[in-house]
Amino acid sequence: MKAAVAIAHREWCSYFRTPIGWVVIALYLLLSGAWVSLETIRPGEPATMRVFFAVSQWLLLAVAPAISMRLLSEELRAGTIEPLMASPLSDWAIVAGKYLGAVLFLLTMLAPTLVYVAVLESVADPDPGPILAGYLGLLLVGLLYLAVGLLFSSLTQNQVVAYLGALFLFLLLWFVTSQGARLVGPPLDARLYAMSIQLRIADFAKGVIEAGNIAFFLSASAWFVVISVVVVESRRWR
Amino acid sequence: MIRLQEVFKSFGKVHAVRGVTLDIPAGQIVGILGPNGAGKSTTIRMIAGLLPPSAGTVNVDGLDTIDQSRPVRRRLGYLPESNPLYPEMSVEQYLRFRARLFGISRRAGRTALARVIERCGLENVRRRRIGELSKGYRQRVGLAAALLHDPAALILDEPTSGLDPSQIAETRRLIRELAGRRTMLLVSHILPEVEKTCDRIIIFAHGQVQADGTREELIRKAGRGRQEVQRCVLEARAGDRINDLQRLLSALPGVGSCDLATQADGWVRARIAGKPGVPDLREEIGSICAREKLVIRELSVVGDAESLESLYIRLVEGADAAPHGENGA
Repeated sequence: MKAAVAIAHREWCSYFRTPIGWVVIALYLLLSGAWVSLETIRPGEPATMRVFFAVSQWLLLAVAPAISMRLLSEELRAGTIEPLMASPLSDWAIVAGKYLGAVLFLLTMLAPTLVYVAVLESVADPDPGPILAGYLGLLLVGLLYLAVGLLFSSLTQNQVVAYLGALFLFLLLWFVTSQGARLVGPPLDARLYAMSIQLRIADFAKGVIEAGNIAFFLSASAWFVVISVVVVESRRWR
Repeated sequence: MIRLQEVFKSFGKVHAVRGVTLDIPAGQIVGILGPNGAGKSTTIRMIAGLLPPSAGTVNVDGLDTIDQSRPVRRRLGYLPESNPLYPEMSVEQYLRFRARLFGISRRAGRTALARVIERCGLENVRRRRIGELSKGYRQRVGLAAALLHDPAALILDEPTSGLDPSQIAETRRLIRELAGRRTMLLVSHILPEVEKTCDRIIIFAHGQVQADGTREELIRKAGRGRQEVQRCVLEARAGDRINDLQRLLSALPGVGSCDLATQADGWVRARIAGKPGVPDLREEIGSICAREKLVIRELSVVGDAESLESLYIRLVEGADAAPHGENGA
């Protein structure tokens, strides 16, 4: 556990020791901020953060793989995975530490967006419920995206491939659970809709917190993390 | 300390290691020598618990490297071939991170950090980013990281590759110093490196141990193998007793031939060739000179290095010619 925390800490710090962390945060805040200022902080608009959550959810699609692409790919490329695996820690600790580091970075990236809430609070009287639910949804979808990204980065030494792999999977899933579901029609479409990240996240943005949705994101994330552990572990069998 | 028994390792159809049995006692400095692709790195990566053997067992301190991998890893300090480090971290940050991976407490970590920084001469660069350091310094950082947890055995894979000559000399000196009472495995494809640093030399080729022994043993083996003879040079102030010296030296049972000549400065230089298979003549020659009260200024064996080199080349090439040959050790 201590080793996993050490790895998470190193990972989190290294986002800020290299340009990637600053670039990702800057782009995310710039885009989400622009949207919120133009669409939400405007006379006549409802005092909600809905626009922010909708935009963020799409931005995460592109941003999360950028956060996760280097997690293991970079270790594989540079060979630093070797001293890591020769240290007396479990492969679980390595992967969990990496994942935790990325999740902490995501939280660091989302933290400044509380300013938007503060601004909204200063000009109107928003209902805190949907805002809390929205953030919870954003966090959960982030967990899932990062877990998928982690798996792709465990499979290749090439960060670009890791990025595109994760992004492509998200887009494919989005297509299948929207257009695909419409195409196949009932009764199969219900199953596809159930897998839709976008539909589930929309519930949160509306302020609806459903246990099923939470379980979906958490279990799917855990699943991808476990597969990543297996991929890393398999290096010792080969 | 480290024991390999009938270890095989295959990657698909490539048989990287084919039946290696080794026993390395605690405290020995062992050089593993061999051409690229001889199975050296694969062997030590199995010892470090990074690869499982396809067959056979690898033990460290009686612990299996697969079943008891983590306690094994705790006992080993491993410096991989390319010495991979995180360029964005400072030397101190990196060493502190490594200490935490080994579960070293904060206080013990501070002491360990101070110790390795001092021993590896990193004092001046401790706050510098690793990416900014020269290759020689980076090598020291890798060594420091491998030593942090004070391992019983140190495994270094090609520790001087890619360094310039002065960095090589410095790294070798450091390695010799660091060995102390530790067991050390030094992998290299450079003969002088292993020759200068190690107590014992193991020559690998084609995934097998071709020769194993001290430098002297290997030279002797080389001599036997090719009926090579030892050649000595003696320089003594024999003056007009040159003929006596000639007679005495020729009378030694191990001497095949000797050839004496007076040099311009009056010293007599003798070139002595031993009979095939005779290991070392120097002691007997020395005692003759002492008995005869002859002042000497040189008594040495010539052609040692060449014979070890030729043994190495012969073993490696021999293995090339007969890759399925018997284990030569």
